[in-house]
Amino acid sequence: MSTIVANQLTQRFGSELALDSVDLVLDPGEHLAVLGENGAGKTTLLRILATAARPSSGQLLIFGLDATRERGRLRSRIGFVSHSPGHYPALSATENLEFFCTLQGVDRGRVAETLRLVGLGEVAFRPAGLLSRGMQQRLAIARAILHDPKLLVLDEPDASLGSDGADLLAQVMRGKTAVLATHDQAMANRLCQRTMVLRKGRSLGAGTRLRVVR
Amino acid sequence: MTRYTRLAGVAVLLMLVPAALIFFYAPEDYLQGVSQRIFYLHVSSAIAAFTSFGVVLVGSVIYLRNGSLTADRVARAAALVGVVFTTVTLVMGMLWAKPIWGTFWTWDARPTSTLVLWMIYAGYLLLRRLAEPGRQAARWAAIVGIFGFIDVPIVYFSVTWWRTIHPGPVILTDALPPEMLLTFLVTMACTLFLAGVMIAIRYRIEVLMDEAPSPVMAPAAVIAKREPEPAR
Amino acid sequence: MIRSAAVALAVARKDLTSEWRTRELVPALGQFVVLALVIANFGFQIDSRNAATIAPGVLWLALVFAGLVAFGRAFAAEREQSSLEAMLLTPAPAAAIFAGKALAAALLLVVCEAVLLPALSLFFGTPLSLALVAAVLLATVGMAALGCLFAAMVARVRAREVLLPLLTLPLWIPFIVAGGQAVQVAMGADGSYNQALGLLLDFDILFLVLTTLAARFVLDD
Repeated sequence: MSTIVANQLTQRFGSELALDSVDLVLDPGEHLAVLGENGAGKTTLLRILATAARPSSGQLLIFGLDATRERGRLRSRIGFVSHSPGHYPALSATENLEFFCTLQGVDRGRVAETLRLVGLGEVAFRPAGLLSRGMQQRLAIARAILHDPKLLVLDEPDASLGSDGADLLAQVMRGKTAVLATHDQAMANRLCQRTMVLRKGRSLGAGTRLRVVR
Repeated sequence: MTRYTRLAGVAVLLMLVPAALIFFYAPEDYLQGVSQRIFYLHVSSAIAAFTSFGVVLVGSVIYLRNGSLTADRVARAAALVGVVFTTVTLVMGMLWAKPIWGTFWTWDARPTSTLVLWMIYAGYLLLRRLAEPGRQAARWAAIVGIFGFIDVPIVYFSVTWWRTIHPGPVILTDALPPEMLLTFLVTMACTLFLAGVMIAIRYRIEVLMDEAPSPVMAPAAVIAKREPEPAR
Repeated sequence: MIRSAAVALAVARKDLTSEWRTRELVPALGQFVVLALVIANFGFQIDSRNAATIAPGVLWLALVFAGLVAFGRAFAAEREQSSLEAMLLTPAPAAAIFAGKALAAALLLVVCEAVLLPALSLFFGTPLSLALVAAVLLATVGMAALGCLFAAMVARVRAREVLLPLLTLPLWIPFIVAGGQAVQVAMGADGSYNQALGLLLDFDILFLVLTTLAARFVLDD
């Protein structure tokens, strides 16, 4: 069973067409890179795949379940890293994650090792507001994998990560199905077997390791 | 001439019937004199308003249960018509109060609840105008519609309770002689018909606005979306 | 059920901890209510004869405005919005998340009331009794539930500062009517305190149930 089956996904904001009839099939364990200019619709698509937003029209099946009806059941299996991390600045990195452990219903013991995994072991007790942008990004990744989701949806996670960002992402994505939006084609090619290019909300095509020619 | 224009024409012409009855058929009230004649339209407007808001309630509940866009549009249309009739009720109430009680306004249960009603559904309309059109605005407005409808009897009850402790002027309630009753019932029926026609017309407008939102007709929110969000 | 309670408490704890560490809201609210009392003194020409008559009104005005600020802030910040989304993407029920935020906002308002009531008693010479405190606390519960529900709605809407009072105040009126009566009696007027308190309790229960049911429509898409 495919992890994601998306059919004619369309998203309208008023009279603006952010996403236009996008189709997508993703099998378990596959990594898909979504490329495109700013405003092409990457974030819109990823938010729909993460069940953070509903499409105006189209069908979406994730793990065989209808994404618009079964969001509650799906959310424990999806990890989402969005554009804005939304951490609580007054709380430490550890406290932020422990809070989400309670929400996810998972054991708090995982927090320490997850922080180590993403390279935040040193700053585990620093208030999130005092973390650098790159560290906040890592914390967001930690939060997304806390509940061991089978599907990862990552919206430009590499933006501030630094040189070993790609290694971290490779490690995090291993064994999981993943959708990754990025501007960095080299990283896309390294981490993902498949690529999709969006322009003005339309998919220009999805294939294996596309080389985009301007 | 579209059927809506025809319908509107019929509704307006129909209002001439109660008008005739009110001024030429119904007897003048012994105590209140000529100003009592406002009562027919005042109470009819109030009933039309409450009925409209009842429609909003039903539409809101249906929308929340199964996402029916029709229900949402009906709710929107009925809310606007309801606010119009509430305004009419309030104004007529004030015109009636001045010669009878010497003051335009009292904080009695009925005027107070009607004012609160107006504020609630004005809020409903404002929310729809300001929020980005779509599923969320519809959901939120549905919640406002439901809470508002529940709140009004509670406000009415609270103010009545308050009034038993702090009594104020009492609205005269006489038994109505048959001519007055007939006039009132006819007025109410015609007003309700007018309200229904207005809702139908507004519903059609909502359908058109949904199908082809243009920058001219789109609410402020969509236009605002083109502006960049201010950095916080 | 137990998980919902755990979630609600965790959310409330998180909000209160954040507020405690940053101390953004409570000092500002405390200053605000004291200023409101000062303004009332000049606006109403308070003297020893009319103080007890005017004090209840001043109390509610200050409380309403402070409440609008406190509840509005529970959902306002931009960062708050993305964190809210992160919370909603977990299996935690939206109603539990809402309950937690409403609880935290209510407690913050209670802290503000701990400043307001003594200050009112000090400036206006009115008695500060358990009856008064009980009435105010009961009203706060229901007002918090409603205020937070609409605050969650308008957080993502333009002109939210205008829209929040417009939507919330009509629903707060029953609380102000009943609470106003209770406060007046507690300050020496005639009337039935128990009846008023009973009404407040009824309103609290009604609106707590309604807002909990409505929470998931408001928070989640």
